[in-house]
Amino acid sequence: MNAAQFLTIFISAVFIYNVILSRFLGLCSFVAISKETKPAMAMSLSVMFVTTMSSIITWFIYKFLLIPFGLTYLRTISFILVIATFVQFVEMVIRKISPPLYRFFGIYLPLITVNCAVLGVAVLNVDMFFINGRATPGSFYYSLFQGICVGLGYALAMLLMSGIRERLDLCDVPKAVKDFPLAFIIASIMSLSFLGFNGFRF
Amino acid sequence: MKKYFYEFLKGIIKENPTFVLVLGLCPTLAVSVSVINGIGMGIAATFVLLGSNVIISLIKNIIPDRIRIPCFIVVIATFVTITEMMMKAYSPVLDRALGIYVPLIVVNCIVLGRAEAYAQKQTVLNSLFDGLGMGVGFTLALILISGIREFLGAGKILGHTLVKGFQPAFVLGMPSGALLVIGLLLGFFNVLKNRRE
Amino acid sequence: MNNQEEFRRDPEETQEQKLHSGKNKLIVSFSPHLHKDESVSKIMWMVVISLIPAGVAGIFIFGQGALWVILLGIVAALITEWIVQLFAKRRVSVLDGSAFLTGLLLAYNLPPKVPFWLPIVGSVFAIAIGKQVFGGLGQNIFNPALTGRVFLMASWPKYMTTFTSPLLAGAGFTKPLNYDAITSATPLAALKEGKVLEHISHWNLFWGIRGGCIGEVCIFALLLGALFLFIRGYISWHIPITYIFAVGLFTYVFGPKGLFTPPLRAGAGFSGDWLFHILSGGLILGAFFMATDYVTTPLTRKGQIIFGIGCGLITAIIRLWGGYPEGVSYAILMMNAATPIIDRYTKSRIYGTR
Repeated sequence: MNAAQFLTIFISAVFIYNVILSRFLGLCSFVAISKETKPAMAMSLSVMFVTTMSSIITWFIYKFLLIPFGLTYLRTISFILVIATFVQFVEMVIRKISPPLYRFFGIYLPLITVNCAVLGVAVLNVDMFFINGRATPGSFYYSLFQGICVGLGYALAMLLMSGIRERLDLCDVPKAVKDFPLAFIIASIMSLSFLGFNGFRF
Repeated sequence: MKKYFYEFLKGIIKENPTFVLVLGLCPTLAVSVSVINGIGMGIAATFVLLGSNVIISLIKNIIPDRIRIPCFIVVIATFVTITEMMMKAYSPVLDRALGIYVPLIVVNCIVLGRAEAYAQKQTVLNSLFDGLGMGVGFTLALILISGIREFLGAGKILGHTLVKGFQPAFVLGMPSGALLVIGLLLGFFNVLKNRRE
Repeated sequence: MNNQEEFRRDPEETQEQKLHSGKNKLIVSFSPHLHKDESVSKIMWMVVISLIPAGVAGIFIFGQGALWVILLGIVAALITEWIVQLFAKRRVSVLDGSAFLTGLLLAYNLPPKVPFWLPIVGSVFAIAIGKQVFGGLGQNIFNPALTGRVFLMASWPKYMTTFTSPLLAGAGFTKPLNYDAITSATPLAALKEGKVLEHISHWNLFWGIRGGCIGEVCIFALLLGALFLFIRGYISWHIPITYIFAVGLFTYVFGPKGLFTPPLRAGAGFSGDWLFHILSGGLILGAFFMATDYVTTPLTRKGQIIFGIGCGLITAIIRLWGGYPEGVSYAILMMNAATPIIDRYTKSRIYGTR
C-alpha cells in the first residue's frame, strides 16, 4: 500500500477517467439534475455516499462470499442488490430531512440504483484490485478510496455543468435547444475536451 | 381498447423514453454504434420491460413500500437473465454482438423508471401496454440514433458500405458523438414541435 | 436563489448586447471595464489584423496550400453564420468580424496539407455548434475555433496529424489515403515518441522552421501580433503570461531529467527544457489569441490568473504524460467549461451591496 497508488487513483478517478465525462456512466442524472447548482451538489453528495458505502460492502461480499463459494458470476446481481438497498436507505433519509428536495429529485433518486456509475465503480474495484480471485494487498483501502474519488469525479462534472447551465439560463438561447438539447451538446463538447486525457501513463 | 392503444402510443412519441423522458442514456450511448445492435438491444429491452411491468403491477400490493426497490430489481434481474439465456440459445450471433450490454439491461433506467413511476400504481393491462409502448419507443429511438451514427461515423448501414470514398467522422462512433447526435435530434424535434404550435 | 439575481446584472451580457445592437453607447455597469470605447466589431477586426503576420509566415513556410486552407476556413465560417442566423431569424451579424476570426483561427490550427473539405466541415461545426447553438456571440461557453479543432481531431485523426516539412513549395491538396507529400512529425510529436531531435534548435522553433499547424509555427510573427494587441490594450497580460509561465515551470520541474524526476518513463532529447516547451506546439498561439477571448474566459483578474494556471497545468500534464503530444486545445476548452464556476466564486462586489 503506497501513497503513489492513492494519488494515481485520485487523479484517474476525478480527472483522467472521469466517471461521467470519460467513462460516460451516470449520464441520465447528469443531464437531468445539472440545471441548478444546489440540487446538483445534493445529488452528487448522495451519489458519493452510495458509491463509497457500496464499494465497502461489495468488497466484503466479493471477498468473503462470492470467491469462497465460487459464485463470482453472481457478482452483477448481488452488487445491484446491495446498491438497491442502500439507495432505498438514502431515499428514506432525504425524505425525512428535506421533503422539497425529495420531491425535486423525483424519479432520479431511486434511479441512483441503476446509475451506471455506482455499479461501474463496484465492478471496477473488483477488476482492478482482485487478481485471479485473490485480493491484492491493500485492496480494501484502494477500493474504498476509489469509491470516494469516483463520487468526487461525479461531483466535479456536475459542478462544471451546473455552472454552465445556470449561466446560459440568463442568456437568450434559441428556443429549440433550450434545456435538454443544449445540455447534451454541452456534455458532448465537454467530453470532447476530456479526450485530451486519453492514453495517460504515469 | 382505445385507452390501451393510447397507453401504447404514448411510449413512442409523447413520452418517448430516450427523447422525452431522457432515460436509459448509458446503454443508448454504448449500443447505438450500429443499427443491428440497436435493434437487438431494443427487442431485448422491450421483452424485459413487458415482463417486469406486468409482474410488478401484479404484485404491487404485496410488496412493502420500504423495500420496494430491491424487490423491483429482483424481478427485473430475473427477466434479464431469462432474456440472456434465450438469446444465447436462439440467437448466438446477436448475443455476441451485444456482449455485456444484455446483462446491463438490469441497469437500464427505463426499466426501473417505468416500474417505479407507473407499474406500481397502475393496472396490469395498462402496465402491459405501457411497457410495450416504451420498449417500441426505445427501439425506434435506437434505430434512429444508430442509423445516423453508423452512416456518418463508419460509412456503413447494417454493415454495408454505401458511398465509396466517403471519409466517416470517427467522433460519431464515440460517446461524444452520440451525445451530439441526441442533442441535435432533440433540438430538431423541438423545432418541429414549435412549428406545429 | 439570490445569486441568480446577481447574475442578471452580469456586465458581460449587458455590455455585449448593447454594443452589438449599436443603439446605446452609454453603458452603466460595474467593473471590470473595458477601458476603450470600442465596439465589439472593431476589437474582432483588430485581432484579425494582429494575426496576419502569423498567417503570412505560415504560407511562406508551408506553401500556397496553406493559403487555401485559410481562405476555405474563413469563407465557410462566414457562410455558415449567415445561413444559421437567417434560419434562426436572428440579426445577421456576419460582418462583425467574429466569424471571420473563428474561421481564421481554426485554419491556423490545421496542418497545411489537408483535404479541402476539412476546414469547411471544421468551420461549419465551429460556428453552428460552437457558437450559434448557444445563441450567438457573447453566449458561447467554449472557444468556437477550438471546438471545431477538437471535433476534427476526433473525427479525422489521420488528416489532423499528418504534417509536412517546412519550406515545401507548391503544396496542393492531399489526395485521400494516398499521400505524396514528405511528411514529418512536429517536434512535440517526436518528443512524445522518445526520439532525439538534434537538428531542431530553439531558433528553429522561434522562426518556425519546423513541422506544425499553419498559424502556430512562427513564434516571431505571433509575438508581433500579440505585442500589437497589448499596446492597443485589447488583451491583458494576466492570462497569457500566467499560462506560459505555468507551462514553463511545470515542464522544468517535471520534465524528464528535470529538477524532480519521478519514476516516469525516461525521455530522450530535450529534458526539463522549458524553453522548448514554451516555443513549440500551439502554446503561443493559444495563450495569446485563444485563451484571451473575452467571452469564454473569466471576468475578474483573479479569475483570469486561475484560468491561466489551470490551462498551463493541464497543457503541461498532457504534454508530459498524456497520449497526445499537444494539449493546448484540450486545456483551454476544459478551462472554458470551468469559467462560469470561476466567475461565480471570484466575482467582484457590486457597488453598494454587502
